[in-house]
Amino acid sequence: MSEALIQLENTGVYYRSGRARGPAGIASPWALRGLNLQIRRGEKLGIVGRNGCGKSTLLRLLAGIISPDEGSVRYARPGLHVQLLALGVGFEGHLSGAENAILSGLFMGKSRRHMESRLREIQDFSELGDAFHLPVNTFSSGMNARLGFSIALQTDPEVFLIDEILGVGDHAFLIKSQAAIREKFKSDTTVVLISHDARVIGDICSRAVWMNRGTILAEGDPADVCRSYESKR
Amino acid sequence: MSDLLRYKDIIFYRTLAGLKSEARRNHLGYLWFVLEPLLSTGVLYFAMSHLTGQRGAVAVFTILLGMLVWQWFEGSVMLSADSLTNKFHIHQQVPLPKYLFPLVDIGTNTIRFAFAFSIVLAACLFFGSGPSLTLLWLPLVLGLQLALITGLSLVVSISVTLLPDLRVLLQSGFRMLFFVSGIFFTAERVPAHLLPYFHANPVTVLIESYRAIILNHRAPDLALLGQTALTATAFLVLGAFIQTYFDKRLLKLTNV
Repeated sequence: MSEALIQLENTGVYYRSGRARGPAGIASPWALRGLNLQIRRGEKLGIVGRNGCGKSTLLRLLAGIISPDEGSVRYARPGLHVQLLALGVGFEGHLSGAENAILSGLFMGKSRRHMESRLREIQDFSELGDAFHLPVNTFSSGMNARLGFSIALQTDPEVFLIDEILGVGDHAFLIKSQAAIREKFKSDTTVVLISHDARVIGDICSRAVWMNRGTILAEGDPADVCRSYESKR
Repeated sequence: MSDLLRYKDIIFYRTLAGLKSEARRNHLGYLWFVLEPLLSTGVLYFAMSHLTGQRGAVAVFTILLGMLVWQWFEGSVMLSADSLTNKFHIHQQVPLPKYLFPLVDIGTNTIRFAFAFSIVLAACLFFGSGPSLTLLWLPLVLGLQLALITGLSLVVSISVTLLPDLRVLLQSGFRMLFFVSGIFFTAERVPAHLLPYFHANPVTVLIESYRAIILNHRAPDLALLGQTALTATAFLVLGAFIQTYFDKRLLKLTNV
């Protein structure tokens, strides 16, 4: 078995909104509870579950955006680069596509040098041509999405967190972007994919976890896990 | 500190981006950095010269310095109050330390201030009594003000995000402070028994120090500046504590 990159031990997270405090809260405030999960190097872990089962909280926890309220999250080494696939993080309308590519990359934990060395690839993949050097507020929403996707693709995290395989842009680019994500699944990048579509997970993941109400209901072979998830729907 | 080095590119790029977008939004662009304090000084000078009969270049520069210093202070802190809520979509996607965002806002506003301040400083020296060695005190006073702004902003940015109502209180507080900080009047106009209260306000102390250094060629009151340094340090320590404590808790506590 390969080395564990991230290890969750009896992890719990709960949300408190400013107003609903104390015993008045009806639903349990725990978004995740008693979670034990290992993410191993190179694996493609799929997480299925219905809306509100704690999938997004889990992604934020893994990405280090929030801290656990119970139990622990341990990384193989400090500074492990875990990145959520997000489009157009921190885009500034008045800056050019190229400048935004660098800025967005910095936000996602990459160095300026790394992003500068990838500008060519980003420009090519996004098919923006010379528009790459124009301010992004002159872009159509499709162009923005293409740029955002191309940047995210060049951030090369050690663990890639993906919330639904989203294709972006027009039909041709949609196919291309989905193919690029599936490519990540063939490489040795570690990927955590969240989806409510069990078929996608069954197709491309090497291991699957079924979550419900913040806990793990089943874990193991994607085909088995997805079959039980589908049958319970 | 090593974190700050890691994030210096982000702070640098975002500060530049902020300035660029601001300048491109308006036709007069960067000119507004100077025009804005000039306009408010014009209004205050008009009112004060009629009330007190004090006219001339010194009266103008007295108000102008007060106005600039105040806008640097108030502008930065008020920007920081919104800097986390404005960028919430970013916090939901990347694990960046929250303090970066108020720092960027302070950076943008400080550059704006530096631009206007250097022009006003040059004008003060040209139309006033010329340069003198007391100007060497300036970096100390500027540094103290920056420390005070940073400390307060670190506290305010998290507090307002957690308790949005604080924003209204903060605004009222600043409005009150504007009238009592000696922006359009000097300490001579303050009754003697109120002076200790007047000088308990760090903004007053800063404004008076700038005036002493630039207009009167006097060294600033070091005892009062020492008090200001203590206040700034207290805010910095509190700010660092609040930022560390809430950094990864903030998203669980708010539903913006």
